[in-house]
Formats: sequence, structure tokens, C-alpha cells
Amino acid sequence: MEANGRLDGMDKRLLQLAQDEFPLTDQPWLSIGNRLGITEREVLKRIGVLCKKGIIRKVGPALDARRIGLKASTLIAMKVPEERIRKVAKLLSEYEEVSHCYQRKHDYNLWFTVTARDEMELEKILEEIKRGVDIAENDLLDLRPIKMFKIDVRFQLA
Amino acid sequence: MDIDILLALQDGIPIVKEPFTAIAERLGIESGEVIERLKKLQGEKVIRRFGVFVRNRKVGIIANAMVVWAVPSHRIQEVGNFISKFKEVTHCYQRQTILGKWKYNLYAVIHGFKRETVREFVRKLSEEVEIKDYLILFSTKEFIRRSSGRVRAKDRTLVGD
Repeated sequence: MEANGRLDGMDKRLLQLAQDEFPLTDQPWLSIGNRLGITEREVLKRIGVLCKKGIIRKVGPALDARRIGLKASTLIAMKVPEERIRKVAKLLSEYEEVSHCYQRKHDYNLWFTVTARDEMELEKILEEIKRGVDIAENDLLDLRPIKMFKIDVRFQLA
Repeated sequence: MDIDILLALQDGIPIVKEPFTAIAERLGIESGEVIERLKKLQGEKVIRRFGVFVRNRKVGIIANAMVVWAVPSHRIQEVGNFISKFKEVTHCYQRQTILGKWKYNLYAVIHGFKRETVREFVRKLSEEVEIKDYLILFSTKEFIRRSSGRVRAKDRTLVGD
């Protein structure tokens, strides 16, 4: 990493490789280092710094929600008065079933996803949330998924 | 054991020389078994990807949009497949419309360094698939972002178990 905290070329290549082709072996950082021409020690040092700076969220698996038994999900959009938006978001964050929540530039200004075991559990959580946030039914969209085309959260850095 | 392994490392492996050995020791098994089981779970697509996850905002990728298109239903498959091919697109879904309230049925999450670049990308994309009816909803604040696919300690089952 450069002195000003920006990623240097090696950081970028390292992050790219560790996103795209992380090896499931006893010493994954050693093989990544070999491919980049740096030592395992240097790889670990760089990864440590990137974790500390919060640039790396985690090194691990992304699991397919459906395949681990979380079969019901939806995307909810709501019209929330600006002055209440933080409070509503805070309430949503208390649900582990709510995985993403963003404010967006639109009349429907708060968007969040909910994932649950099955339809029944999902309905129960949605009912609870609706009561809790006190938003009129007419100011809410329940956008159920029909088909997943893609989930692949990787970023092009190098 | 698959569940124990996922519970042990779903929030991240330790940043050490032999991370799987560290996990294996905790579980009282060999590192080889951890690795074999992870490979199997990857093969079964229970694990979508294994590796580094980057906080995009921290590396300057601060323009993040959800784009919604109103696509005629007979073209959904084709347009969805086309949009999904681009690396800028991290998520792409078809979702239900709501009569009289919401006509958009195809969703994509798109990331870039600048809003202008994202707008231009979406304009070209929409032109190529010939869908004029769309909205670009930039996120202005991220309140919650965590993985939707977490094994919950309270469930302890995987589908197919």
C-alpha cells in the first residue's frame, strides 16, 4: 500500500487474484504469492493491512441462500418521510433476516431485502416489520423474485 | 460436519499461513477434510464463491445503482442473460410487477467509480437490448449490507441433508 493509503499495483493484483481464483489448499497465500512473485509473508502482511483498513470485508465463502435452506426472499421498497428514514433503517437492522438496506434517489426511497426459511417465516417477518415501521400499505412495494440471473459480487481492480 | 465447517468459517477464515488447519483444529478434524468438504460444497454450488470480498466503497467504487427495466415478458430470458454477462453487474433478477404501481420486472445492481460512467454504461446497455423504459436508482446511503446466505445456528440444516 502506498503511503497515502491508496492501493498500489501489487495490492490490486493481489485483491483481484484472491477474488477470482482463491485456492482451497493448505497454504493458499503461498500459492497466491507464487503466482504474483512475492513471498507468502508479504502476501499475509498486505492482506492483514487491507483487512485492518476495512478494504477486505472477509476472506471466506459466499453461500447460496436457497441451498442452505433459506428459500423465501423478497425486495421491499418503501416511501419513508426523510426525517424518519434513519429510524426505520435502524429498526430494520435489528432483523438478521434483512441483509441489504439502501436509501435510493426515488419516491420509493428505502429499499431492503429479506431472506427467510420459507414463505410462512417471510410473511411473519414482513408483518412484524410493517407494524414496526408504520408505513401505509400503499407506500410499499413487495417485489418477489421470479428468476435469479446472476449473483457475483466481485470488483475489477487490476 | 458441513454445517459445523460453514458455521466456523462463513464470517471469514483467519488470516494465517494455514487457515484451514486452524479451523480443523477447532473442529477436531484434519485440514484435508475441511478442504475436501469445502470443494464438495463448491461443486454442489452451496458455496457460490470462496475468496476475498472487497468493500467496494473503500476502493473508490462509490457509484452504485439498482437499475430496473420494464421488459416484455417474452424477452426477459434473453435480456436477463445479456445483462448478466457484464462484470459491472453483480446482481440480476427478474421480479414480479405490481399492477398499477410498478411495471419494472428486470433488476440489475451495477457498480462503477463514477455515476456518469454508470449512467453511460446503462444507456448503452439499454440501447443494445432496445428497452427504453428504465430507471437508474443510485444508492445515496448504505444502511445494511451483509450476506443473505448465512447458516443460522438455530436451524442447523442444509437443503438436501
